[in-house]
Amino acid sequence: MKTKTHPLLGFHSLLMMVFIYVPIAFIIAYSFNSSRLAADWSGFTLDWYASLFKNRRVIEALSNSLIVAAVSTVVSMILGTMAALSMKKLNRKLRAGMGGLLYLPIIIPDIIMGLSLLVLFTQFQVPMGKLTIIFAHITFSMSYVYVVVSTRLAGMGKQLEEAANDLGASAWQTFRYVTFPQIMPGIVAGALIAFTLSLDDFMVSFFVSGPSSTTLPIYIYGQVKRGISPEINALCTILIVVSVTLILLAQYILNRGKGQKKQSILPF
Amino acid sequence: MRKLSLSVLPVMLWLGVFLVIPMLIVVGMSFMGRDQVGGVVAGFSLEAYARFFDPLYLGIYWDTIVLSVLTTVICLVLSYPLAYYIANSGPKRQTWGLILVTIPFWINFLIRTYAWVLLLRTQGVVNNLLIDIGLIHEPLQLLYTRGAVLLGMVYTFIPFMVLPIYVALEQMDKKLLEAASDLGASPWKAFWHITVPQTRSGIMTGSVLVYVSTTGMFVVTDILGGAKSAMISNVIQAQFSGARDWPFGSALSIIFVITSLIMIALFNKAMTSRHLKVKEGR
Amino acid sequence: MKKMRWAGVLLASMLVISLLSGCGSSGKQTLNIYSWADNFDADVLADFEKEYNVKIVYDVFANNEDLLAKIKTGGSGYDLIQPSDYMVDTMIKEGLLAPLNMENIPNFENIDPAFKDPVFDPGNKYSIVYMTGVTGIAYNKKYIKDEIDSWEDLWNPAYKGKVLLLDDNREVIGMALKKAGKSNSSMDEAEITAAVEDLKQLLPSVLAFDTDNIKNKMIQEEGWIGTVWSGDASVIAKDNPDVAYVVPKEGGTIFADNYAIPKDAKNKELAEKFINYMLEPEVSAKNYESIGYSDPNIKAKEFHSDEYNADTMINLSADELSRTEWLSDVQDKLQLYDRFWTELKSGRE
Repeated sequence: MKTKTHPLLGFHSLLMMVFIYVPIAFIIAYSFNSSRLAADWSGFTLDWYASLFKNRRVIEALSNSLIVAAVSTVVSMILGTMAALSMKKLNRKLRAGMGGLLYLPIIIPDIIMGLSLLVLFTQFQVPMGKLTIIFAHITFSMSYVYVVVSTRLAGMGKQLEEAANDLGASAWQTFRYVTFPQIMPGIVAGALIAFTLSLDDFMVSFFVSGPSSTTLPIYIYGQVKRGISPEINALCTILIVVSVTLILLAQYILNRGKGQKKQSILPF
Repeated sequence: MRKLSLSVLPVMLWLGVFLVIPMLIVVGMSFMGRDQVGGVVAGFSLEAYARFFDPLYLGIYWDTIVLSVLTTVICLVLSYPLAYYIANSGPKRQTWGLILVTIPFWINFLIRTYAWVLLLRTQGVVNNLLIDIGLIHEPLQLLYTRGAVLLGMVYTFIPFMVLPIYVALEQMDKKLLEAASDLGASPWKAFWHITVPQTRSGIMTGSVLVYVSTTGMFVVTDILGGAKSAMISNVIQAQFSGARDWPFGSALSIIFVITSLIMIALFNKAMTSRHLKVKEGR
Repeated sequence: MKKMRWAGVLLASMLVISLLSGCGSSGKQTLNIYSWADNFDADVLADFEKEYNVKIVYDVFANNEDLLAKIKTGGSGYDLIQPSDYMVDTMIKEGLLAPLNMENIPNFENIDPAFKDPVFDPGNKYSIVYMTGVTGIAYNKKYIKDEIDSWEDLWNPAYKGKVLLLDDNREVIGMALKKAGKSNSSMDEAEITAAVEDLKQLLPSVLAFDTDNIKNKMIQEEGWIGTVWSGDASVIAKDNPDVAYVVPKEGGTIFADNYAIPKDAKNKELAEKFINYMLEPEVSAKNYESIGYSDPNIKAKEFHSDEYNADTMINLSADELSRTEWLSDVQDKLQLYDRFWTELKSGRE
């Protein structure tokens, strides 16, 4: 798998990581800053972590966000992949129409999507809450999954599937053992984008949220008027640490007992 | 295989309920009028559409397109080598590469953007650093400029470029490169004539995602641009807040969506028809 | 097969997190509040929950128009909202608010008469003022040695690139109108146009338009002078004592956030009890000490700290208040305001 890459390429990648992580380093550093307003450095403190754990509303917002992101990612992963796979089965006209339709959620300004869904839900008397947020998130996330999986499909030859067919594999077997493993990286990349988007969405969530379904972005945007509390920086720091730990843990579990070959947790 | 074609039904149903119906509501709204307090009143008028052809709004849309194309190009140039590096390293490093690129973006977008404010402000880190090493003597006004907006956009949308390109690169048939080198092609030539065309779909997807997301982003212009360089998305946003003009906001959105779809189609066409096209049935 | 396993692990961990965070419901009566973030002292809310054996759900919005959109479509499920002055007016006109039952709010008597019977809700039928403020000029004495007393001073070329303006069409154009001695809610096209032409002269001096983060920009001395709300100025001055505040001689815009109850509220009486509780002098003092901003409760004065009572940015003088004007709805002229505003903010003609 490993091919030789030019050292300049490695250097560039290193610089990119610096670019990506410099602001993150600041966010982490300021979670230990004793001043409330993110002005200058005014001393080390752990107070923000302490007050974070006592802040019922942040914890609730975080858990709402995680629920919404987890559920909407899974559902949009399935729907988006199904959409990408079935496109080639459609006739040309239908395909063009569906393709355009699937691009819409990516293009539509968030505020339009939020407001129009709000009108829809109130018309049909769906009470606003986590469920309405999940519906909304699936609607846009699905498009991203679709787009990325399609990218993968576009670069995939037909030969393997045809060979499987010739060898007498059923449609399901062909899908399960030939197509699916090939498009898996696309699904994972799409899911990563979907999860990120859901975790970060403010505008759409705002409009379709109801009492006690405040998500983390809604909470944070609300705070802007008074200045965002460093509690949020503390929260972000914890989020990073927890996600990295979870991934390491998952990798460890997968590798246990498989002495000969190291297994990556992402199927690449 | 017939099962698979049935599988398009749930998707269609979903899009019908949560996308088509809401969009019809927006289309309807765009033809209505605005009452005294900013409510929407029934009626049919094309006024909202006509107002778009004001040189002011056309100009702002042009600015938006320029900024978005610029963001896309910069993202592409920065991300392609990174994706290439990740795709060509060992499986374990690939995993880490992707995770490292994605995780920062699980941090709330506002928080990330404010971190740039801390870095770029007059007494910020970048200015202090430049003064310390003697490159400048007076702090530069880096924030609240179009440059800062561009930087913020590129930063925000890098994963949207890296991930699709990675997905395409990872899938590439590397034997082709070996063959090319056996035939005496220089690495650069091989890259340009084999790698790039083979990853065309990734480049396309990444570019579309970045372009479209940039045109729709309004918070970066507010925070890093000092709200001084309004983009079309800021204007749309304003119609639903301070201007309280839902019909105009709806009309702007519809124009925006249609022009974006046209641009994507044109871009796809340009990308698939030129010499970049891969030979069928590899 | 192995490849599936990682996805299983990921999904399982997501589900575990989701389940762990599911919160139990308590069967208590719930008061759903929809307001600005950090608009109440957390202890005061907890005290109310305890005293009345209820649960408070406190959700936040970031601007009045978002609040309007949610209330207007109905079914938002909130019992108590906090719209600003002009938004109260709009909501009354759109029939979105329930009239208050003052029998449940005897503490209304404690409100400063200056803030009773406001123009946006004559007779306080639908709303009670929660906090008030004025838009004036905050400036940093370290950089600005001249005496500041007029909006004209923002145009001083010496402050080029250091001027901050609120990111709000009505506030800023209203300011330029005030400077010219007109009403901040002028509906005269010639007056509005002249004010905007004047603002275009100011444009090269403007560092940024900002409402939410203007405080940081003043504290960190990115901007030297700007249009700032009085309550924000008080916050700024606490972190940066060099910053002074003035209500210009031409006068400024006064504003208020208010209590109001949406028409479809399910717990109207509880919401009224809450308002009444918040207007208890001692509760009120505790609340405003914590959130800053001016307390319109005159009976609370004796319970406030000396520091709070001495803060001239929170407690504006009668003289300063006499120079102020509420923003009123400009109806169909809002389109014109916004067209000009877009011009100013895009730097295009």
